[in-house]
Amino acid sequence: MKNQWFKSFTLVAAISAGMIINGCSTVVKRLDSGEVTDLSGEWNDTDSRLVSEEMIRDVLSRPWINRFISANGNRPAVIVGGVRNLSHEHMNVATFINDIERELINSGEIDFVASKLERGEIRDERKDQELNASNETAKQMGQEYGADFMLKGSINTILDSVDDEQVRFYQIDLNLISLADNRKVWAGQKKIKKLIEKSAFRL
Amino acid sequence: MTLAYLMVKKVILKYVLAFVIGLMVLTQSACVSIKFERDEIETYLLTQQPEKALTALESHEVKDRNKSLYLLDKAMLLRMQNQFEDSSQVFEKAKRLTRKLDAISLREQAAAISINDSQRSYLPQNFEQVLVHCFQAINYLQLQRYSDARVEILQLSELLKQKDDIQMPFAQYLSGLVFESNQELDNALISYRKAYQAYSSYNSAIPLMLKEDLLRLTKYLGLNDEHKKFLDEFDLQIWPKQQDTDQQAHAVAIVLNGLMPRKHSLEINVQSPTDGQLHRISTPFYEHRETKVYGAELSSELLNTSSEIIAQLDNQARNALNNEMPSIIARTIARMSIKNSAVDETREDLPLLSLALEIAAIITEQADIRAWNTLPQQILIMRLSLPAGSHDLKLNLLGSNLPRNIQTWQQVNIAKGESRFFSYHSPDSYVTQRKP
Repeated sequence: MKNQWFKSFTLVAAISAGMIINGCSTVVKRLDSGEVTDLSGEWNDTDSRLVSEEMIRDVLSRPWINRFISANGNRPAVIVGGVRNLSHEHMNVATFINDIERELINSGEIDFVASKLERGEIRDERKDQELNASNETAKQMGQEYGADFMLKGSINTILDSVDDEQVRFYQIDLNLISLADNRKVWAGQKKIKKLIEKSAFRL
Repeated sequence: MTLAYLMVKKVILKYVLAFVIGLMVLTQSACVSIKFERDEIETYLLTQQPEKALTALESHEVKDRNKSLYLLDKAMLLRMQNQFEDSSQVFEKAKRLTRKLDAISLREQAAAISINDSQRSYLPQNFEQVLVHCFQAINYLQLQRYSDARVEILQLSELLKQKDDIQMPFAQYLSGLVFESNQELDNALISYRKAYQAYSSYNSAIPLMLKEDLLRLTKYLGLNDEHKKFLDEFDLQIWPKQQDTDQQAHAVAIVLNGLMPRKHSLEINVQSPTDGQLHRISTPFYEHRETKVYGAELSSELLNTSSEIIAQLDNQARNALNNEMPSIIARTIARMSIKNSAVDETREDLPLLSLALEIAAIITEQADIRAWNTLPQQILIMRLSLPAGSHDLKLNLLGSNLPRNIQTWQQVNIAKGESRFFSYHSPDSYVTQRKP
């Protein structure tokens, strides 16, 4: 009886030691960038991808592009204005704006010009070229391409929680506004809703 | 009894005794090291050396159960050195850890019930969690990241909804300032109103800045009945109008004054009249402290203004401890019962072990004296309204003899309608009483 108890104890101790040793080492697992991984319930790369895919699909399928091309004979040029984070989370809105920008440029139907932040460095370089580069290669000041539309938007959240459950509702709105006359030519919207259940216990 | 049985008992006795003695040494040394670490940090802060305090904090080993406290102290010590970006990152880590620690650990609860409360991971008190958001918001305001400050205020609002037993008028007033910085005057008024209700519920004096903001915004937003009510109550002859505020530049200085009083433990040792067994009850209490700085003045080349108290955080801490005391005592009684059972069970067969357990029960019974000690004791605020443009600002702390009692900000450019925020820590303070 005592022998059996001793053997059982040894077995349990060995298994526990194994689990502890295993738990102490760092494990890295590579994932596909398209794989959905929701860990904390907060805004993540999947949300960013879902929003940018929806917005791209929408903006390219609306009549404003053809109307502009018919009226002006060239592709519309867009500049990114501010996307306000009005949500409850600190999030990097730049990632999905960059995704949208990249896909729209690569579609060949829209031109993007550098934003206010990006232009500063470019203008410094151009000024430097005026002083230091050869006449043949220096880029002239005052030759920038003026944007036709500004892309602006906001991210809002509504939270509803009780005890350990929370529903998070995200609404992302983007608008294209004409720089000539302030008309809104396109309004895109994407909604995401998540139910998050927190565990009441931990190790 | 067989020989084998006696041998097994001897083995058990040897290992359990060693375990008990080891436990006693560990819990005692843990408490001593926490106290030593706190003393060192406090000494550096009182001599205006937050960089050395941070070095001291990082030189000690951080146990997992004290990780949240380490992060809170580190974030605060970084902001004392004007490293607001780094401080923000550490506060974010502290917030993530707090969310994780909110769940109950059965393992830790078992340790707390059998040894003492310090065996549990330190979960910041509700008022401390609120202050994390407040200081994070102030970090963002100083970095002029007004959108990020707004996110912080929304998180704060959710926290206040969940922990509805907390009344933090300063947190509500700060929310209003953040909303105004984001040009959301209607949201700002809602926060100012909540701040007013919270101050009133505490029977605290309503700060002059809050009175002026309530009068200004109720008038501007056309809430005439409410405006008249505040006018009658506040009895102010002069208060700023929104049209004037929109034309001026505003410098808001926040002084984080003094240091949060430390917790100590009060031990009561009693002997049972029936069996002579010794029992110890150990409960935490806050020391009493006074700040040396009693006020501050903010001045520019043209104008100056004086500070007022916007928050008394040591009162908040004491209230929190008072509210927690019933559960502290309940856990203490439960622990006493478990430890006594162990002593009683072994008294007849293993008297030496029983004695060791009794001694261990007394020595390990220690109050949890951990707290966020780098918090200020009180918060002062003042606002200087100036013509838009570049200004040299000077903050003068009144009552302190230390060399860094004057802080200056040179060539600060403030636009029309803009509020710029500055904060300064002055831990200078002294203990007046180390008794409950």
